[in-house]
Amino acid sequence: MVNLTIDGTQVTVSKTATIYEAAKEIGIKIPVLCYAKKLMPYGACRFCLVQVEQMKGRLIPACTTPVSEGMVVTTTSEEIEKVRKTVMEFLLVNHVLDCPVCDKGGECDLQDLAYEFGSTSNRFEGEKFDLPTDEVNPLIERNMNRCVLCGRCVRVCDEVVGYGSYSFINRGFETKIATAYDRGLSCEFCGQCVSLCPVGAILPRPFKFKARPWQIKEVDSVCGYCGNGCTVTLGVKDNKVETIRFNDEIGVNDGNLCIRGRFGYSYVNHEDRLTKPLVRKDGQLVEVEWDEALQVAADGLAKAQQGQGAGILSGARLTNEELFMLKQVAKTLGTENLDNSGGECYKGVTEGLKETLGVAASTGTFPQIEHADVILAIRSDFYETHPVVGMVVNQAIRRNEAQLLVVADKKGKLDKLPREKTLLSQPGLELDVINAMCKVLLDEGLAKTDGVDGVEELQAALADFGLAEVAKRTGVDAAALQTAAKQLAGAGNAAILLAYGLPYQGLSTELATAAANLAMLTGIAGREGSGLYLCGEKANSQGAIDLGILPQGNGLGARAMLAAAAEGKLDALYVVAEDPLSSYPDRDSIAKSLENVPFLVVQDLFLSPTAEQADVVLPAASFAEKDGTFTNAERRIQRVRHGIKSPGEARSDGAILTSLAGKLGSSLAFTGSAAIFAEIGKEVPAYAAFNYNEIGPQGVVWGGETLQPASRKLVAVAGGVAADGDFKLVTGSALYHSGTISTRAKGPTAVLSEAYLELCREDAADLKVADGDLVKVSGNGTELKLKAKVGNRLPKGVVFTPYHFAEAQVNRLYKGEAVIPVKLSK
Amino acid sequence: MFKEFAKGLSITFKHLLPGHSTTVQYPKVKLTPSDRFRGLHRLVPAQDREKCVACYLCPTVCPAKCITVESAENEKGEKYPEVYTIDMLRCIFCGYCVEACPVEAIEMTGAYELANYAREDFEFTKQRLLK
Repeated sequence: MVNLTIDGTQVTVSKTATIYEAAKEIGIKIPVLCYAKKLMPYGACRFCLVQVEQMKGRLIPACTTPVSEGMVVTTTSEEIEKVRKTVMEFLLVNHVLDCPVCDKGGECDLQDLAYEFGSTSNRFEGEKFDLPTDEVNPLIERNMNRCVLCGRCVRVCDEVVGYGSYSFINRGFETKIATAYDRGLSCEFCGQCVSLCPVGAILPRPFKFKARPWQIKEVDSVCGYCGNGCTVTLGVKDNKVETIRFNDEIGVNDGNLCIRGRFGYSYVNHEDRLTKPLVRKDGQLVEVEWDEALQVAADGLAKAQQGQGAGILSGARLTNEELFMLKQVAKTLGTENLDNSGGECYKGVTEGLKETLGVAASTGTFPQIEHADVILAIRSDFYETHPVVGMVVNQAIRRNEAQLLVVADKKGKLDKLPREKTLLSQPGLELDVINAMCKVLLDEGLAKTDGVDGVEELQAALADFGLAEVAKRTGVDAAALQTAAKQLAGAGNAAILLAYGLPYQGLSTELATAAANLAMLTGIAGREGSGLYLCGEKANSQGAIDLGILPQGNGLGARAMLAAAAEGKLDALYVVAEDPLSSYPDRDSIAKSLENVPFLVVQDLFLSPTAEQADVVLPAASFAEKDGTFTNAERRIQRVRHGIKSPGEARSDGAILTSLAGKLGSSLAFTGSAAIFAEIGKEVPAYAAFNYNEIGPQGVVWGGETLQPASRKLVAVAGGVAADGDFKLVTGSALYHSGTISTRAKGPTAVLSEAYLELCREDAADLKVADGDLVKVSGNGTELKLKAKVGNRLPKGVVFTPYHFAEAQVNRLYKGEAVIPVKLSK
Repeated sequence: MFKEFAKGLSITFKHLLPGHSTTVQYPKVKLTPSDRFRGLHRLVPAQDREKCVACYLCPTVCPAKCITVESAENEKGEKYPEVYTIDMLRCIFCGYCVEACPVEAIEMTGAYELANYAREDFEFTKQRLLK
């Protein structure tokens, strides 16, 4: 700690603090433009000049100068004010007077400072900028005439996002921020630059001219897409979510968002939202009143339960409270057939982790990843599944010199970084690589085996996973594999990341088990500062596991339910917040199930392909329209708050489930989410420690920052099976989308509107296909036509397609396997 | 004392004589309001559009909350008011909107005869205000 005096006040701060941060601590405001909390100090704007007695009264920038013992700082004096005013005048020389039409007006740092300094005239005259604006892309609008060259966009894109879209070009007065070759913006459109621009130079285009900042009501909630659980601050005007506001004060994401979070909100306002309950009459879905629809649904489900039984399939985008009510409905109905998210993908947590570590959740929290020394990401570099965790990984590498190891079938975005090593394996054989790493640790005596059961058994089972064999089988370099295992074992803090979700069903249990084995042998599991992270695809995947939305007793799981339905052995299906036809593997069999099930109730936001088949459709509310809690992939329980009213007569899933439970004869009634949350605590002990109303802006983490494993049992898993065939197809999540719901949002669809088939340049050249050509993909007895996307990411012989798009019917090819052998032709 | 009294009254009587009245025979005779009179608003037209750029300062400053603005983007990518309505029944003619306007797009005219029969007639839309 360092003691210094700022404007006569004594302050003690850490020795890494700057004068600006020290002043902020005691409430002294120093004007800044280029400073941003999460970026490295830069010192571009020269607004924060202060005087330090020890430096002979010279003016020095507060935001870049580290504090030192005994420093005496003056932040305001006549001289300082004069200099700051002059800096302002310099900035305003060529700044266009756009304030009335600039969407930043009202929250513009430059405007605020000009007002503060009372700058009304300028001693200097110069030409105003007249640069063309970049309005080519649909999401980010750049007007460089308003730029003050603070470099925040350049830095955030590089330091946090790791994309590096912007740079300064030209010199002197001509300096400006531009992309490579000064072309239009073509990036991943996360909008981080939008959120950090202090002026109106970079603005969100969907929000263009929509409202003034002071007209917007801000509602802090949690993003409804992936399991990252980022805080999103909804900007609401006239009962409509108009934008997502920048907020780095609360939440786990430090103000970072990806394209889905920042631009993917618009499905909430979509005109196709269901507004009235529908019931099938004479083969047609007709609008009816709520009471009738609920009665029909309740009668149908109760009748089915008397017969061969009813099943409930849920998505993981319901709040914890709604999931609790869903369980009540299942109990009241008397069915044990209950499951979520396709029933397979999360088994890595409920079976893999449960069997080995005795817990069913990630063991660390996301902020710890930033301080990890070694990070191992399995199956993808995490950027496409959980982009904001990807940003944390990027910061760990850049700022804290962490080593990133990726075991995947394709290169990731972070591949360009110096401390990144991708162990490129054949698809479906990542498992062998992890097993080989375990074997390296055991063989070389690096494994931490104290208190770990099953060491000998594992050693015996891993006999086939010698470095040379695995290297031959998977294509991973043996030496690199060995080094990676050693790095992971030798790291002080380490993190193992594995994403799960609907497109990653193949080998989900096995991979999680292997990862858990590795976590135990390296000592990561349960060690303070380290963690094994299994991150769900949906906002409340972890909540669904915690609340036990799983087959009860002898009940059927999702796959079994659908299979039973297809054979006519299930009389009703109740599908909540899911679109199995579009997103579950093996579309043809799902279609058969939905056709053969006598009674189908679907509860969703849109008339999805599944809902079109239903007998009763209940219109539900989006995340922006309800209150409750989500549990993110690091076990953090966070509050979801409603910002707008539901369209038409749509009701929240919680309200629908409560009424339905009532119709089915339940006497349970709750006065609100807080009461249900208290009730959850009685069934889920981990939740009992918290009070709904006391969940603060940072949320609460159940099980503590580091979750201690209940057991340490190594479980051997067999290796994967290499797929034959000319090409190996893998499915997964595209960076721009999450699930199927984001395909209804304007932002993500503006960047990526249809499915594609990604292949490497060599393959493209062999097949004579160019970017955008249609390629016939045949495998698993079906043939699809997909647009080719030629890139550098994939190795030869491996092709990738995202699963989000219902129209593309990728799930006719994908039947839940880790890798699909396919044939390609033009 | 009487002298002063008479002097004062003489001024009063002088004003009673024809030609000295300040009232006029409204509506046959109408006064010309002063230049700074705050009557009906007018949106100032520019060459091919209104001068207004829909910055929302007037509805923000308006104490009676009688101005409704909805901004939009025109073909040239400029910001313009798609809707600009003043509810004259609520307006208190304070002139803050004129004062707040950064582009001098709104001004107050001398028109003061605003009486009407139907409520709807007091909704002054953009088209009416541009006249």
